[in-house]
Amino acid sequence: MSRRPLFLGLAGAGLFVAALDAYVVVTLLPAMSGDVGITIENFEQATPIVTGFLAGYVVAMPLLGAYSDARGRIPVYVACLAAFALGSVVTATAGLWSFAQLPWLVGGRFLQGLGGGGLVPLSLAIAADLYRDRSRAVALGSVAGLQEAGSVLGPIYGATVTAAAAGLAGWRFVFWLNIPLSLLCAAGLLAAGRRQDAGVPATSAIDWLSALLLGLGLGALVFALYPDDPEHRAVNALFVPGGVVAVVLLGAYAWRQVRRLEPLIPRDLLRSPAFLGATAANVLIGAALIVTLVDVPFVGRLVFNLEALDSGLLLTQFLIGVPIGAVAGGLIASRIGNRITAIAGMAVSAAAFLQMSSWTANELDLHAGPLRQADLGLAVCGLGFGLVIAPLTAGVLALTRGQSHGLATSLVVLARTMGMLVGLSTLTAFGLYRFHQILGTPVLNDTDLRERVKHLERLVAAAFLQEYREIFVIAAALCVAALLVIALSLRPARTSGGT
Amino acid sequence: MTRVLALAMLAMLALVACGGNAPPPDAGKILSDSANAMANVLTVGATLKLTKGVVSIKGFVLVSARTAVRMPTDSDTVYTVKQQDVSFALEIVMAGGHVYEHIPFTPLREVTGAEARAFPDMARLFDATTGLPAIIPAGTSTKYVASEQLDGKQVDHVSTQYTPEQVHSLLAYLNSSGPVTANLWIRSSDHLIPKAVLDGAFGDGGKDAAVEVDITNFNGTVSITSPAP
Repeated sequence: MSRRPLFLGLAGAGLFVAALDAYVVVTLLPAMSGDVGITIENFEQATPIVTGFLAGYVVAMPLLGAYSDARGRIPVYVACLAAFALGSVVTATAGLWSFAQLPWLVGGRFLQGLGGGGLVPLSLAIAADLYRDRSRAVALGSVAGLQEAGSVLGPIYGATVTAAAAGLAGWRFVFWLNIPLSLLCAAGLLAAGRRQDAGVPATSAIDWLSALLLGLGLGALVFALYPDDPEHRAVNALFVPGGVVAVVLLGAYAWRQVRRLEPLIPRDLLRSPAFLGATAANVLIGAALIVTLVDVPFVGRLVFNLEALDSGLLLTQFLIGVPIGAVAGGLIASRIGNRITAIAGMAVSAAAFLQMSSWTANELDLHAGPLRQADLGLAVCGLGFGLVIAPLTAGVLALTRGQSHGLATSLVVLARTMGMLVGLSTLTAFGLYRFHQILGTPVLNDTDLRERVKHLERLVAAAFLQEYREIFVIAAALCVAALLVIALSLRPARTSGGT
Repeated sequence: MTRVLALAMLAMLALVACGGNAPPPDAGKILSDSANAMANVLTVGATLKLTKGVVSIKGFVLVSARTAVRMPTDSDTVYTVKQQDVSFALEIVMAGGHVYEHIPFTPLREVTGAEARAFPDMARLFDATTGLPAIIPAGTSTKYVASEQLDGKQVDHVSTQYTPEQVHSLLAYLNSSGPVTANLWIRSSDHLIPKAVLDGAFGDGGKDAAVEVDITNFNGTVSITSPAP
């Protein structure tokens, strides 16, 4: 019996565990940030807890695939799992000692992201190594699907595990749990894949200059977008110099990568409007997707006053919509083509976001038949995102030869994660600025402190609701922008195999 | 006989040299000296962190508190409290006989009457007649634990016990259902107390709780928020 499915399954499982942690913090953020001394009035300081992971993820993703070509998949994969597990330990211990405060937590999340991000190209490369026939596309798709599934399931997973472990270690349990899971995956891979790695030459090195350019560029970008004084301005006081430094560094990285990647990716592909369009569309989709994954649980907590678990569960309908849409997208694209299907997906999500932009404080009480209106809106939104995944990925794969499928799929994931990182940073800065503008400086004249705090809670909830309505409108605009990019760049042809 | 005496003296010398019979420092005197030293403090900063159990203040779960005190009446205290699992800072300023509160996102606001009196008066905590200096030497079961180093300085670690009434008179929101064990670290040089840990049944519903208090900036410059005129 072939060991390939087991081997790929273990690699995929490690990737899935790491991808879960990208947004696992969304529902845990209030508790985590409180434990490192962040209070609601300084909540912008919690942003790097999410963006730190994404930055590590994006830095590692393009670096480690090529490195593993020479060093061997399994040693590099296990090293990435070790980095992810170490980052989990650092994250889990944040706030336990006076020296382990916010920088410690962000450092842990960055390390988690570095390890987790490295697993994306490695898993894709393992899939490509194992399957060299027609089933390669299915294997690559499965790995990419696990990464996507991990990302979108993260918030609900975090809330569920934390609720189950309330008496143990609360939110910390989510990160402690990564240790045995990483160990299991690493041990399984080492046991199952020893033979696959034999005889791999050890001659290559990590492209440290690229790593430095990308890491510093992303750091400068996240810093430029960090809202250091959201009460008075939307972006950092050093936005312009920080932004210029980010553009220069990321431009240098891109230039270097284009030169280095030429042997791997055909020049025609890099100049192909379809490839560039799909990449741009994925950046926009990532930015819109992050609105749902991060902001919907926040609306649940801050506006609908739900517990952590319930705010995570609010995403359930969205999560059901995505795979249904993905399957439907594959079927529809094969009949009417990738472009029309992807456009339809974005149109559906844009419409759902517009509906969500009219949410009220008692939205969860409003029903359409037996279903809550909010759940319907989220399910439709997820359906739209699902519809676009398959045709867009297939569109990119159709442009590449079989041996480049791993790299091409990796670039799709990279573009989407990049969009998530930039989208999250930008929308958080905008959102916090708008929140302060909307809330103003309320004067509370209630007779008792508790009444005054309750009054403030109502005002804060109303300000957050208005802020998130505006963010949903922006998300709708991002979907429309992605729709236009797809319409102008993606080939109208039906799904096809690699050329 | 002379030989026996000489041997006995040698044995005693050996014991003294080894320190085996050296009496421990007088813990009661250390507490008394520290009370006198604390009575002369004019300004001080302190942070309080709940390390065990749940203590509520004004209906909010206390996480930590940070205070700056200027004797005899002024203080600026930031309580970090939790509502569900969202933390927020509640600042109470006592200055010139007035009490002000700062709720997040709102301007500083004066509170008066019974509500103002219900907030813990941190300056009173260091008052020579009613605060720590008066209570410190009144502990029972006092015991010298060890000579230790704390932040690079020599300190005497003393443990003692206080009654619920004594603790309540210090901090009104600490209602204990039993005696409270206090571990105090007292600087050997100036007898001031840089660290204290209180452990007892003063949590909500009389359950066990523990707080760690770090006291700093003795007679240093403190910052107390000035209310707008």
